[in-house]
Amino acid sequence: MKRPGLVKAVLIFLFLAFLIQGGLRLYRHRHFDVSVVAGPGVTRVSRLSDFGPGLKGTMADTLVYFMEGGEPGGKAILMSNTHANEPEGLLTTLLMLENAVVEKGSLIIIPQFNHSASRNTRPGDGYPLYFEIPTDWGRKTFRLGNRDASPLDQWPDPDAYIHYPDRQLLSYIDVRNTNRTWPGRPNGPLMEKVTFAAMEIMRREKVDVAIDIHGAETMFPVTNCIVAPDKSIRIATLASLTVKAREGFDNHVEPSPTGFRGLSHREIGDYSDTLPFLLEAPIPFLDQPTGPKTEKLLLDGKDPFLLSLAQKKKLFVPYDASGWPIEKRVGQHCSIILEILRQYSKKNPDRSILARDIPRYAEVIQNGVGHYFHDPAGAEKDCLYPN
Amino acid sequence: MSTQIGIILGIMVLAYAVAKAMRLTVEISMFLAALAGGLTGVIFRTPPAGELIRHLVEGSATYLDVILVFSTATIFMAIVNESGGVNYVVRATIRAFHNKRLAALIVLMIIVLIPGALTGAGSISLLVVGAPVAMALKLLGISPKRAAAILFIIAGLSAAAPPVNIWAMILCAGTAIPYVGFELPLAVPVLICGVFTMLVLGWKKERSINLASALQEMPEVPARMTWWRVLLPFLVFFGSVAAYRIFPFQTPILGLPLQFTLSALVAWLVSPSKIKVLSLSRETVKRLLPLISTVVIVGMLQQIMTATGVRGLLSYAVISIPLVFLLISLAIVIPVSEGVLTYGAAAVLGIPLIWYLDSIGFHATVAIAGLTLLWPLGDGLPPTALIGRLSVMVSDYKGSYWEFLRTTWLPWLFITIVGILMVVYSAKLSFLVRWSM
Amino acid sequence: MPIIMILYYLITAYLVVLLVWNFIREKKKIEELAQYLLVLIPLVLRILRIK
Ligand SMILES: [Zn+2]
Repeated sequence: MKRPGLVKAVLIFLFLAFLIQGGLRLYRHRHFDVSVVAGPGVTRVSRLSDFGPGLKGTMADTLVYFMEGGEPGGKAILMSNTHANEPEGLLTTLLMLENAVVEKGSLIIIPQFNHSASRNTRPGDGYPLYFEIPTDWGRKTFRLGNRDASPLDQWPDPDAYIHYPDRQLLSYIDVRNTNRTWPGRPNGPLMEKVTFAAMEIMRREKVDVAIDIHGAETMFPVTNCIVAPDKSIRIATLASLTVKAREGFDNHVEPSPTGFRGLSHREIGDYSDTLPFLLEAPIPFLDQPTGPKTEKLLLDGKDPFLLSLAQKKKLFVPYDASGWPIEKRVGQHCSIILEILRQYSKKNPDRSILARDIPRYAEVIQNGVGHYFHDPAGAEKDCLYPN
Repeated sequence: MSTQIGIILGIMVLAYAVAKAMRLTVEISMFLAALAGGLTGVIFRTPPAGELIRHLVEGSATYLDVILVFSTATIFMAIVNESGGVNYVVRATIRAFHNKRLAALIVLMIIVLIPGALTGAGSISLLVVGAPVAMALKLLGISPKRAAAILFIIAGLSAAAPPVNIWAMILCAGTAIPYVGFELPLAVPVLICGVFTMLVLGWKKERSINLASALQEMPEVPARMTWWRVLLPFLVFFGSVAAYRIFPFQTPILGLPLQFTLSALVAWLVSPSKIKVLSLSRETVKRLLPLISTVVIVGMLQQIMTATGVRGLLSYAVISIPLVFLLISLAIVIPVSEGVLTYGAAAVLGIPLIWYLDSIGFHATVAIAGLTLLWPLGDGLPPTALIGRLSVMVSDYKGSYWEFLRTTWLPWLFITIVGILMVVYSAKLSFLVRWSM
Repeated sequence: MPIIMILYYLITAYLVVLLVWNFIREKKKIEELAQYLLVLIPLVLRILRIK
């Protein structure tokens, strides 16, 4: 090397350029807030840390919205962004928060269930940092998160994760996966505290129904379905049959395996009186054999490789050139949730839950998801929740 | 879209080839391939221009914890080695086993299998016990080249061995198949392949050594060295790994890097000779630079390949192969993918593959177990060759890398056949899963 | 911040010091210099609590 000083200076300059240009974007993503405009149905807003220890002041703490009806009845809890890279769940719960009015019983909504994951990105998987939904008043920007909580909030991982309390060995990554850390414990790793606090809500508030909203790959056998354990499988089946008959879309029922621990549809039922359901809508963006991971693919679900694999019968859902757009996925989730609540209310009239102004499948497809989001600029200050 | 992605892939391969032709290091060549792929991607706005650097920077963090594990484990072993502990153990082993060759080979195999089996990383086996075992093998009359070959294959098997198999765990996490029932489907083939390897590569004495001259060849051990000084740091490490297994809900999660750091501190405190930790760590990091920079760059490469669609195209190509060819091509595709992407390969090819095989009646658990015998072989293949290079490093083999790799051919072939047969006959072998539970 | 996490930041910082030190001492191989800086990217980002 002729002039080591100069070479080093150039290299350091490049290093700093990388660090600043790339690092700043990642920093902004972690600290970007989505403005939620609480609708007329929201009666109070608390935090997850009000229900379990060790969450206050951490990135794992998250908003819990209560929508209480005038008439007494049952209670349902809705959770999305359990996996923060499956945005159909988040859009579904936000749409309900901004529009629904509960008449009987109440809804408890945790839109950013794994809040730390929603402020994390997925290294190695080349995701966009944000996605935008066109609305009637402009574009609304959301963070695209990761499946797992950020190591900035929970570090280190064990060499293998041992599930509490069943001692099943799980992958080390799953210690940050809030769909493996159920039922959780008050003094466990941060994500076990998150699920523990959620279990506390269900136990303290005597919640009847819990719905955990996800998206899953089209090549994954458990996709486009409702996963339910024995105790809630009847209601799941009725909901599935009803949407098929009345609204014309498929959404089959998968029994929750008893030998696979840590999942919401397993542990919520086993450790409380609540009936759990887990909803999966197909999300082609998460499949391995797709083209570039773009915002467009995330939202319209159109991919030539998947199309070709569909023709070779290697997908578990019907798939054509129209892809699997976000309206369809959110619409499905809305209808299935409404149907589960209706079937539960029919069986348990004294614990019924009745909400209005939640669009169904066909309406969401027709109007688009953005139609249901309100302009934060025109909203009352006390209705705004940065989340 | 395939054309567009094909162009990007072509540019990446070309950039790598040109960089190698200009005699740049493997690591820098891979980085340039990632950069070139990303720049070409920008033409098609996949990724958008402003996002390119963010992708590279984000990708660099993919295996951050692996860097910490590698660094702390190597510093730990460097301290043990400097204190004379390694020589002390090897002397004792040789004294006990010098005329019981089979027993010596099996004991050495098990010593290498244990750390990797517990942590899921063959690198840990090599970093923790690789150097002393390599020395012991040499004293059994095995050439450095064969010793390196033995270490590479056994370290690979140790990573696949139960209870912790990271490939199987990544696949289970990605396919939502529970990580249960793997004990026998992994332990049985690992032991069979391990014994086969030890006999094929280790049985023949390449030079005869008598005990006295063997011991004389070795460096002196400080006079104040004792068994407990050697064992205490290892007890701290294995004890903390075991404590979490036995009392998972009472033990705080320490993580491998901290466990190695604590063991290193203990090794430093009990060492009979004075050790300059700072300069020793500095030299260790210098020695590790090729490996840790590979890990960082593979993360970048993986991120760029996904953002541009190259990764999806490769995944698509593998899944589209007709079944019979697919099963045969696994012998090549699985190790090569590991050689390029390391752990990333399990997700890229493994997840869709397992879903596909599962849907046509293969037994997922046994099929995963079979595949995870093949992945470690890829850790000897360039460009990354993580475990292969580590094996060469700890066994002090100075010859050509290809010579070393060629030495492994028979065990390599044997393991490949066992792995593929496990996938093909997964349904018939499902009793192994039942017996494990 | 839990004490174990603090220890991890210390381990990371120790590694950063070693890498920077080696970077300063290295006078010949330009590729090695570049490799030190590449490894520093994720480590520095972690210490800055960005990624
Ligand atoms: Zn999910």
